[in-house]
Amino acid sequence: MALRLHGIIGRSDDAAYAGRLHHVEHHGGIELLFVPPADVGRKRFRLTTDRGTDCAVSLDRDEELVDGALLFLAHDRAIIVRFGEQESWRLRPADQAAALKLGWNAGNLHWRVRFDGDCLVVLLDGPLETYRARIKPLLESREVGEVDAVR
Amino acid sequence: MSRIALRSATAEPQIAAARVGIGGPVGSGKTALVERLIPALLTRGIDIAVITNDLVTAEDAERIRRSGLIDPARVSAVEAGACPHTVIREDPTLNIEAADELERRFPGVELILLESGGDNLASTFSRDLTDFWMFVIDVAGGDDIPRKRGPGVIRADLLVINKIDLAPHVGVDLDRMHREALGVRGERPVLLTNCRRGEGIDAIVDLLEREVLFRT
Repeated sequence: MALRLHGIIGRSDDAAYAGRLHHVEHHGGIELLFVPPADVGRKRFRLTTDRGTDCAVSLDRDEELVDGALLFLAHDRAIIVRFGEQESWRLRPADQAAALKLGWNAGNLHWRVRFDGDCLVVLLDGPLETYRARIKPLLESREVGEVDAVR
Repeated sequence: MSRIALRSATAEPQIAAARVGIGGPVGSGKTALVERLIPALLTRGIDIAVITNDLVTAEDAERIRRSGLIDPARVSAVEAGACPHTVIREDPTLNIEAADELERRFPGVELILLESGGDNLASTFSRDLTDFWMFVIDVAGGDDIPRKRGPGVIRADLLVINKIDLAPHVGVDLDRMHREALGVRGERPVLLTNCRRGEGIDAIVDLLEREVLFRT
């Protein structure tokens, strides 16, 4: 039987919960619910904690899941969300023309991206090699350079 | 303490309806699947509503309203006016508003099906819009579709291979297609259906009950 959880009680690093969480931790009652990067935007999901608790989680439409979200708190047990590591790929176009081409490709390929100064940071949902293959001509011509690929 | 416990103590409004997307190429059987899911969900006592997306008409919504399967007032239409993916991924505002409106008009609705207009293999749903989404392909579209690794095939929470009854007539090795689909999806769910005869529908509802409605 799943533990049905709805909504975020608070953040585990909030001072308001520090005392209670310390008590729970002292009794070995902290459970971590690891959420993969691709699932972070969900409002409903079913995942199992590191201690094997099957959790059926829903959020209100205006709630955003955060790393450290406190979903359950009892005197001897707490369930805290931990995000899985998001792999990213940082690309720097050589000039404005290359930036336009890179942006055009990323948009058409529906990549999830963030902007960081003169770099485009691609949030990876699959193997890096499959991403590289999509813009191989831009990489080979050095119009776009790979700054790094990190977890 | 969880927010559910707090909710029961303070009599807040109930939890919002689950939103389930159905996407896939033109002619793969999305509307036929909706027509099969409606009675199957209702039989299990699940309170539902439907949103359909079309390019510039309400064709699919009218088809479902006329079907007699569901109160026509519970079926809303969204006209994309552009490529279907624009209103389920890039800017799903029209669909979000349609779903919110259905929830306002029908308090207690538990599940809203959102059918996308027919698109290509790159079609995906925004997580802002749906809690779970399935991608429908069919054997007559070619048994090489899973191998092409389109984002719809890869990223959907559930891949449905429809029209399995046609496999022998179009030269498709269904077992291989199924195996390859599981392979490209990392063993995430792939279910087989024949919507014309209602085959495979219960397995989809079982999955929705477990993964989305948390009934089992």
